[in-house]
Amino acid sequence: MTTTRRSSGPGSAGSAGLSTVAAAGSSGADGARLPGRSLLRIGPVSLLIRRRAVLVAAVLTVLLLLAVVLSLSLGTPYVAPADVLRALSGAGTPYDLVVFDLRLPRVVLAAVAGAAFGVAGTLIQSVARNPLASPDVIGITQGAGLAATVALTSGMAAVLVAPTALVGGLLAAVLLFALGARHGLAAQRFVLAGVAVAFGFRALTEVVMLTADPIDGLRAQIWLIGTLAGKGWTEAAWIAGTLLVLLPVLAWAGWALNSSALDDDTARGVGLRPVARRIGLAGTGVLVAAMVTAQVGAVDFVALVAPQVARRLVRAERPPLVCAALLGALLLVLADLAGRRLFAPTQLPAGVLTAAIGGPYLIFLLQRGRRRSS
Amino acid sequence: MLSTRDLVAGYDERTVLDGLDLDLPTDAFTVIVGPNACGKSTLLRTMARLLTPRRGTVLLDGTAIRELPTREVARRLGVLPQSPLVPEGVTVADLVGRGRQPYQRWWRQWSSEDGAAVDQAMALADVTDLADRPVDSLSGGQRQRVWIAMTLAQDTDALLLDEPTTFLDLAHQVEVLDLLHRLRSERGRTVVAVLHDLNQAARYADHLVAMRAGAVVAAGPPREILTADLVRDVFGLACVVVPCPVTGAPLVVPAYTGGNAPAPAVAGDHSSSTASVPDVRPSTGDAANPLAGSHPSKGL
Repeated sequence: MTTTRRSSGPGSAGSAGLSTVAAAGSSGADGARLPGRSLLRIGPVSLLIRRRAVLVAAVLTVLLLLAVVLSLSLGTPYVAPADVLRALSGAGTPYDLVVFDLRLPRVVLAAVAGAAFGVAGTLIQSVARNPLASPDVIGITQGAGLAATVALTSGMAAVLVAPTALVGGLLAAVLLFALGARHGLAAQRFVLAGVAVAFGFRALTEVVMLTADPIDGLRAQIWLIGTLAGKGWTEAAWIAGTLLVLLPVLAWAGWALNSSALDDDTARGVGLRPVARRIGLAGTGVLVAAMVTAQVGAVDFVALVAPQVARRLVRAERPPLVCAALLGALLLVLADLAGRRLFAPTQLPAGVLTAAIGGPYLIFLLQRGRRRSS
Repeated sequence: MLSTRDLVAGYDERTVLDGLDLDLPTDAFTVIVGPNACGKSTLLRTMARLLTPRRGTVLLDGTAIRELPTREVARRLGVLPQSPLVPEGVTVADLVGRGRQPYQRWWRQWSSEDGAAVDQAMALADVTDLADRPVDSLSGGQRQRVWIAMTLAQDTDALLLDEPTTFLDLAHQVEVLDLLHRLRSERGRTVVAVLHDLNQAARYADHLVAMRAGAVVAAGPPREILTADLVRDVFGLACVVVPCPVTGAPLVVPAYTGGNAPAPAVAGDHSSSTASVPDVRPSTGDAANPLAGSHPSKGL
């Protein structure tokens, strides 16, 4: 049994600002007796934080910063990490153009999009009660994909591709909710409805693809796999803006996820409204997924892997939202870097690499988990 | 405190309860009994607002329960569903802590009252030693105590439990029932449970509600209402009701049902110790007993 211990997460994105306040604000209140948790008090606000999650978030943040510097440094021309740091500090170096204009937008986009995929995956998996659920299992990716394919093969202006894809993703979401709502968006129904939506949209996409001009078809194919090439600030701003607007909802979601494992009767018994909660969680997840997929394409293997890996790192019973976001960011930054450099000058889309990096790691964790539990 | 008025409830096409009026006494241990599919679980779920009635009202302290915010209901009425899904990897303290949900918000996730209530609930249900263990690693009896602790952490005046002893061995059944009895006698909680075992119901209940086919057949103290006639009416089972040698509560012993069941050790001779027991063995021709067809030993 633990008494309240102040959490002191150095440098983690989610808690760095808060913990300093907590040190001043919490005055020996007893209360958080839940194993592995600490109570964080800021005035009237009290949050339960997993101590291990703070640690994992801190480590992931450091790794993410290292990956960003590495990504800014590697390439042609090579920029030494020290010069990258000098350039970032605004010292004015000959590498400013390469670092700021060529590489930084893409790295920031990778981090932001990866974080968004991590968040979307966590929310979708909790509603689906299934660690394998991701935006492409429930049809959001395919909805965005169909719209993007139509846009790319019909000669629509390039700036309109992402908004069109967003509309497609949201359309798939509406269909998903309409099909899945009948039994209160219960897990199995949610997944089945999603699979149906996914197949429908994929079939339509293939029809469009086959009837299109081969060159356009190839462009659509690359979009579907997901790539960050040629993208940057605009896409990053859209995704970051969405996450920012949803921040209060995400704060609620981080709390609501704690009870998502309860069955409906038990949840109602403790005064929750499970259906409303599922609609809220799924709606948020789907919105984030549609936005990020519309901007960068189907890099959604990150959404599948990041929550589960984060969950195992934190050793929690459900994916932790902040850690999943950080891990998603790290994963996509690394995948994009590998895609740029591994077979340079040939660039592989990040979507190919996320699967190549994330898959084996997930298998490794599953193996380790099995050995421990047996 | 808990009553129903003209309650009609069911699932999909099937109406289970049809116009049920019932008043449950405050500060008592009420046990609802009845044959399978008689609507006892439906009644409990409807009273706990887990199931929305098609018509009629459930009253909690005189107010229609569906007009109260669900969080407020959760602070006054705890409920343990029949077989709650055990969340994977959640620790005991964590799960018991979920019982504090009705007092929490995402910006107020824990208070010292929450800590005190969780501690007290775990102590009452005797699961304090298990606090750091994952619930899915526990035995059935321990799990059930953890679930009860979760509902206790809600700190409600009333507690509804749907078959809290099912799937437990006899010792664990008694353990759970003793706990419920303590809650009533020492803590003054109102406890309402659906039970399968008539003898346990008779032993522990202050107030017994016997149901059949969605209607209440009898309600009252077990010693007053639990008779062989009632058991025959409700379950279609011929039986002998004798005083329990331990508590004096009515004890239901199924009667000899003929060739399908093991023969009594002293068949046909009641002159010795069982002299006070009336012979209620049905004749071998079951035609005399219109309800014999539903006897559980038939058709085996």
